[in-house]
Amino acid sequence: PVTAGSIVVPYGHVIGNEKWRGSEVAQRLQGKVRLIFEDGLGLVDFHLSNRTCILLISEADLVAGDEFKRRLVKFRNASSLRGIVIVEKTKISDQYYVGVQKFVVLELGMVLLPVANQGEASQLIVQLVSFCVVREQSRDRGANPFLGKRRAAAAEPALLRAAQRVPGVGKTKALLLLQHFGTIHRLCNASVQQLERVVGQTGAQQIYSF
Amino acid sequence: PAEHSPSLAGISRVPAEHSPSLCILADSREMCSGPEVLSCLRAVHGLRVQVCSLGTSDYIVSNRLAVDRVLQSELQSPGNRNKLSQRLQRLQGVFERICVIVETDRVRPGETSRCFQRTQYYDGVLSALVQAGIRILFSSSQEESAALLKDLALLEHRKDAAIQVPTEPQGHQRDILNFYLSIPNLSYAAALNLCHSFSSITAVANSSVPALAAGARLSRPQAEELHRFLHHDFDLQLLPQPLPAKGK
Repeated sequence: PVTAGSIVVPYGHVIGNEKWRGSEVAQRLQGKVRLIFEDGLGLVDFHLSNRTCILLISEADLVAGDEFKRRLVKFRNASSLRGIVIVEKTKISDQYYVGVQKFVVLELGMVLLPVANQGEASQLIVQLVSFCVVREQSRDRGANPFLGKRRAAAAEPALLRAAQRVPGVGKTKALLLLQHFGTIHRLCNASVQQLERVVGQTGAQQIYSF
Repeated sequence: PAEHSPSLAGISRVPAEHSPSLCILADSREMCSGPEVLSCLRAVHGLRVQVCSLGTSDYIVSNRLAVDRVLQSELQSPGNRNKLSQRLQRLQGVFERICVIVETDRVRPGETSRCFQRTQYYDGVLSALVQAGIRILFSSSQEESAALLKDLALLEHRKDAAIQVPTEPQGHQRDILNFYLSIPNLSYAAALNLCHSFSSITAVANSSVPALAAGARLSRPQAEELHRFLHHDFDLQLLPQPLPAKGK
């Protein structure tokens, strides 16, 4: 009953729950993605990939009460898939949105995206497919503008800036100190005498006490 | 008329001698761009809001979570793409968790409510955020954003990640905080924790990676990065020439 488990989604396809056949979402998706209908997807409405799936909550679901919450909790408990919840946020269902968001995002820790109607939902699904599936599988991670590229910037300018935060130390003294001691660690452990050789008596005392 | 929400009552069970209430750090720019968020946080939700110059994010809600407020119109226009992505990429270097609150634009007096036209570009941005693992919340007003910030702070508090140290160091402590803040990829919260957990900068410099992680409440990789920085051997040759102008 709770087939939230693994399902194999062929590359570039979306597997839709049989119950959406003929619906507006399905009609609009057709032509943009290759949509296959399958029976017995259980709780899930659309599978975008082997890992990512979509649960659609309609305006009617929201107004009808808490049934959709039970469905989400069941999904959350039964599956390790990443579930993206798309909810129809209309003039009528707007009043429920705050509560739904609190429940889905803060309590269940799932992704929640509002749309105004089924047409918008299909447009969003197309973009999700493009980002979450196509780019994920082509390992083209650089294409996502929000994924940090971990490049190590040279630490030297930062070290210089840090050394200048020590009271009484400007750019010249900071450079001298860093050239002489090399690391913040060694600078911290330097004695007054060692510091004196670089920056003179008053400066040394100031740095040492800092 | 501070109307404390009932959920805040449960906090007293935590032995926090310094912070009787939840604490949120807010960037000073928010005084202009989100004044109602700040006043709601204080007056309605009874949170301690410390305004400081964060630079990186709009809010720091816990030791590991940063929150940025973005207007819906900003996500609609491709012109903002670079600015937003640079900002969020930087945040990812500093924080374990990032959340974006997408706030509906305020309708100015005299302006008829503009119809929000959902673009393909907007859906693309949302999808990219989802894929990057950035949490997204939607809000229709500054008041609602404040409520969401409170919920996030409460949640982080339950997970034992709340900011529990004094947020306003004085005198000498202030100088030391400024020193920590100059360390790359170290958040304001982590710098405060360093101030509080270690007696001196020397103590920090002599600490092991696990001790740094515990003291500053950092994740292991972040603590390793801090440790590397403290032990990084300065090489004059690697300094970009000419020397960058300082403090401008």
